[in-house]
Amino acid sequence: MKRYLAFTEEDELLLRSLGPRLEKYFPEMAERFYSQIPFHANAFRVFTGGEEQIVRLKQTLQRWAGGLFTGVYDQAYAEERFQIGYRHVRIGLEQKYMISAMGVVRAFFNECLLQEFPQGEQQHVVALAMGKILDLDLNLMCESYMHATVQNLRSLNEQMERANRDLAEASQSKDEFLAHVSHELRTPLNSILGFTKLILDGLCSSPEEERQLLHDVFASAQHLLGLVNDILDIGRIEAGKLALQSETVSLRAVLDSTLPLVAITAAEKSLSLIDATAGVALPMVRADEVRLRQVLLNLLSNAVKFTNYGSVTVRALLNTNPGDEFGVEQPTLVRVEVEDTGIGVPPEKRNSIFEKFFQVDPSNSRRVGGAGLGLAISRRLVELMGGKIGLEEGKSGRGILVWFTAPLASQQSIDTLQPPAPKAVRATK
Amino acid sequence: MPAKPLSILIVEDHPLIAKFYRLALERAGGFACIVTEKVDEMLAEIEAGRVDLAILDVSLSATEWEGRNIDGVELARLLRERSPGKIPILLATAHAMAGDRERLLAASGADDYLEKPIYDAKQLIEKVLQLLRRN
Repeated sequence: MKRYLAFTEEDELLLRSLGPRLEKYFPEMAERFYSQIPFHANAFRVFTGGEEQIVRLKQTLQRWAGGLFTGVYDQAYAEERFQIGYRHVRIGLEQKYMISAMGVVRAFFNECLLQEFPQGEQQHVVALAMGKILDLDLNLMCESYMHATVQNLRSLNEQMERANRDLAEASQSKDEFLAHVSHELRTPLNSILGFTKLILDGLCSSPEEERQLLHDVFASAQHLLGLVNDILDIGRIEAGKLALQSETVSLRAVLDSTLPLVAITAAEKSLSLIDATAGVALPMVRADEVRLRQVLLNLLSNAVKFTNYGSVTVRALLNTNPGDEFGVEQPTLVRVEVEDTGIGVPPEKRNSIFEKFFQVDPSNSRRVGGAGLGLAISRRLVELMGGKIGLEEGKSGRGILVWFTAPLASQQSIDTLQPPAPKAVRATK
Repeated sequence: MPAKPLSILIVEDHPLIAKFYRLALERAGGFACIVTEKVDEMLAEIEAGRVDLAILDVSLSATEWEGRNIDGVELARLLRERSPGKIPILLATAHAMAGDRERLLAASGADDYLEKPIYDAKQLIEKVLQLLRRN
């Protein structure tokens, strides 16, 4: 038996002429069909059979191309059949039953061909040819489906690995947090227990010494209380269990009630504590009043703690948007700044300063106290209240400026904040 | 004339805890205490044979050697290396998570380990005497 090149350029043109028909019935498959013609062409390039059969194949292909669905079927019926067949393929693919989809399609085409080419041999040859095209097409579909499945699995795997890594990291950071907390709690406890035991054991040399030790005990216990509160806050915030009020809060009242709390320490260190907004109308903000005060107190006591000479200044400014479509600038946020002339923060440490337990200078923090939770808590509180927090170099070139924003309560008519005459806050004892 | 008291080196960066060690050891044990965070001073005392035992904190914030911060673990190895005789070293730390004890003892070569809070003068002194007798 001779082997012929059965698939000629002419055949390819014929196949291509099927395109528009395919587009009509299988709009979503047409593009794939065109791209697969070269594959089909290869598959038919070697055809085992006689000259006569090749001629017949060509004829039948031509007939098929010329009027497959208009001969036996009327147009409407043919379309309907194709739609049904196509839906089967789609359902099969979607439900991932590739084999069944292939079977359905094969059966459907066989049925079409039987109807179209009732005569024995012709039907056989065309069915063979069509079947091959179909098989190839379905195989390619299978392959691309498998490929997509493998890709999906791979990306699922990657996602799981990533999730595992994240979990491991979270668990490690939890362990580190626990170790840190345990360390921080034991330190003041050591002083509290140690000094009271010394006193109880009668090891003090004088009542004055006992008094001094009791003072140390008291300071350590206060430090411990602050630590416990901070740790509870961080825990609650991280568990998403910190319920914040959304109140209309007077910024003026918050400033006025918070500044006196640091005024005594500032006075003891001979620092000027300056309220740059004294006597100016301040806007109402939307916030949780207790937490807003906590943030401000954190920033102010940090500033006082890390400043040995000079001043600590607090000021408030309205932040305006670039403007609406009419070019009218609308203030939406108030920005509160706490600036000091203290020891400052080196630029490379400024990004880490809002992280838990971060100490710019561990040896100094031992002297001034504090576990390094205040700024971490402040950042989270500010963000929960819809604002932002940040740190800049102090304007005087010394110290730092920590700012945070809070949303305004609503549209208010506020006189633009004028830079007022600075006023020193007096320590009230 | 009474015998010269045994001398204990205390390296602890928390001033109140250092104060507790000193008071407890002086008052309840009759020891003399040297409290410092400076390596030069420690080495001078040790090389002159004026230290009988050292109590070292693990987390040290202000102790530097060769231009960098070192912790109690490294310090223990350094003191060991530089002391003429074998001085007992007691690590004291608030690192008290599972596995810390073994890890820190192995890494430092210290003789024993105390977990903070350490607040009983009698227990502290017993531990110190036990180590002194062993040597």
